[in-house]
Amino acid sequence: MKLELRNINKSFGEKHVLNDITFSCESGEAFGLLGRNGAGKTTTIRILMGVFAQDSGEVLLDGNKIDYNNIKLGYLPEERGLYPKKKIVDQLIYFAQLKGMNKLDAEKSVDKWLERLDMMQYRNKRLDTLSKGNQQKMQLITALAHDPEIIVLDEPFSGLDPVNAMLLKDVVKEEIQKGKIVLFSSHQMNYIEEFCSNIAIINSGNVAITGNLHEIKRSYPRNKLVVSSTQFEDIMKEFKSSQRLKNDEIMISLENESDKKEVMKKLSSSYDIDEIKVYEPSLNDIFVEYTEVRK
Amino acid sequence: MKQFGTIFNFELKSYFSNKVFVGITIFLVVIIAILMFFPRFVDVIPEEEEPTENLPIMLVAGDIPSSVMESISDTFSNYNVVFSDESVESMSKKIANDEAECGFVFSGYSICSYIVNNISMYDNNIALASELISESFRFDKLSESGLTKEESLNILTYEPEIETVSSGKNQRDNFFYTYIMIFALYIVILMYGQMVTMSVATEKSSRAMELLITSAKPVSMMFGKVIAACIAGFVQLVAIFGAALLFFNINKSYWADDEIINSIFDMPFDLFIYMLIFFILGFLIYAFLYGAMGSTVSKLEDVNTQVMPVQIMFIIMFFVVMFSLGSGNSDNLLMKICSFIPLTSPMAMFTRIAMTSVPLYEIIISIVILILTAFAIGVLSARIYRAGVLMYGNPPKFSTVIKNVFKGK
Repeated sequence: MKLELRNINKSFGEKHVLNDITFSCESGEAFGLLGRNGAGKTTTIRILMGVFAQDSGEVLLDGNKIDYNNIKLGYLPEERGLYPKKKIVDQLIYFAQLKGMNKLDAEKSVDKWLERLDMMQYRNKRLDTLSKGNQQKMQLITALAHDPEIIVLDEPFSGLDPVNAMLLKDVVKEEIQKGKIVLFSSHQMNYIEEFCSNIAIINSGNVAITGNLHEIKRSYPRNKLVVSSTQFEDIMKEFKSSQRLKNDEIMISLENESDKKEVMKKLSSSYDIDEIKVYEPSLNDIFVEYTEVRK
Repeated sequence: MKQFGTIFNFELKSYFSNKVFVGITIFLVVIIAILMFFPRFVDVIPEEEEPTENLPIMLVAGDIPSSVMESISDTFSNYNVVFSDESVESMSKKIANDEAECGFVFSGYSICSYIVNNISMYDNNIALASELISESFRFDKLSESGLTKEESLNILTYEPEIETVSSGKNQRDNFFYTYIMIFALYIVILMYGQMVTMSVATEKSSRAMELLITSAKPVSMMFGKVIAACIAGFVQLVAIFGAALLFFNINKSYWADDEIINSIFDMPFDLFIYMLIFFILGFLIYAFLYGAMGSTVSKLEDVNTQVMPVQIMFIIMFFVVMFSLGSGNSDNLLMKICSFIPLTSPMAMFTRIAMTSVPLYEIIISIVILILTAFAIGVLSARIYRAGVLMYGNPPKFSTVIKNVFKGK
């Protein structure tokens, strides 16, 4: 399956919030939707979910206009919230039923997920008796219980402790392996880098950059070397174009990419080197670059 | 449709598992049971003769006509009537000192003075005394002019027999249950309207809305919620009125003398059906509006201000109907107009049907307008809901909401 957003435009009143948003993601992979606060991520997601109607543009599934009656979507909103005063299992079943499951299947699936997320002991408790992180796990069940083909997770890791974050990571990986389309929106770049093969960075309602993360990184000039060595001071004396990054790490900028091999050889033969690698920007760097410059 | 069913079940279940809801219903049923069984218990307890010394003292003095003297104790049976020779001054002193409650100083057939400390709201002693004296006067004068006691009694107590042939409604009989029904409609709509608003506003403030709106269609949400509230309200009313009817029938013999109570439970069947129709449709229209208003607030504190317009509209309609009902002219022009305007027709048309003779075609027109409007308002409020639920921050102006509603989905 291939989910595509094509030239989505949306205004609220006078304010043009989305401007020709275009990107696509395929099943079996996770897609990272990035952007600063207020960039238009949530609006994009709401249009994708069919909550808002776009002013123009299309949401396509395998080339056809998406039919919300025939496709199951799972959504973990950034603003978490269920019914605080109601019994957990009741509301989880309710939401699964709303998404089209019959009562029996809903109950089975909810129990399976409660088991999977290690939450079985809270099954018959009221939601507001749970801690924030555990409430979030309950919310995750509402996004997954009905076995959706497209899963949209808005900031799924915020508020989770490391153990729960790991549990969530495993769950997400399983879903990706099952061939689901997983759409991530997050500010925690390390998670996006870990999961997402494709990304889109949205800045003030425009797609600043989209594509395969690996290729995006590759597209940066590969004329910088990151060198880790205890003798970094000596190296810096030899290479004037170098700058210190942290501790023993320095970065050497080369005039020509083709000098790379030569310089690497020279370094490893004359100094005590721990590590040499070609500099690739981190997602964080890319994010800052694309969202700051445009500002 | 399946979604509607799911939402409807969920909402209905939450009403019936709501402790306050169940508590209020049981409480009201118990109150009604106590009221309805009351005469039975009162009958069982033997009535004690009230000792005369506990009755307040009424002093009577002056030149009292003999026939007045004969019957004054009977007329003021809840007083201990004491004859004395007091003057007005000494009597008022005694009354001021609480030695007696009130007193009359007569001079022949005209009252000289009625002396009392505080005149209570329900003091009808003057009226009683005046009636007593005028009756005695007529009786004495007739006797003086040569009629026998019996003849003069016959003249004085003569009453013609009048047979009523009415082609319309008996407003006196219908008044009480119409009043009760209008009042029940008023209370139920206000109460459940608030419940629907709160239910929507709570979902919004707890952000469950984000999930709901991506899981279910607004129309299913709105209709599911409102119809569940309608059924819950209906069940509550049936429980209360059903209990009243049941308890009344159990104790029917004890209530035989009470015309008001009997007239309430003697409601004609067709009127009952009309009541159901107008109740359900009126309820739906207002509940939809309340729901839509609930969706436009983002904090629970704002609910009251936001529902104010609906509330005021509703209260105005209630007063129009209540005043017309109270004035005895339920068929005035204002009521006629109101009985075709969807927001006022449930109460206005029902009152007219109950109190006057309304042509059938007018009833049908009113009901058809109501049904169409209820549906239209349902769909409209679903759109307001859709536009409103995802707007957070300050409650939007009504005009903004309407603009958003018509500007597309």
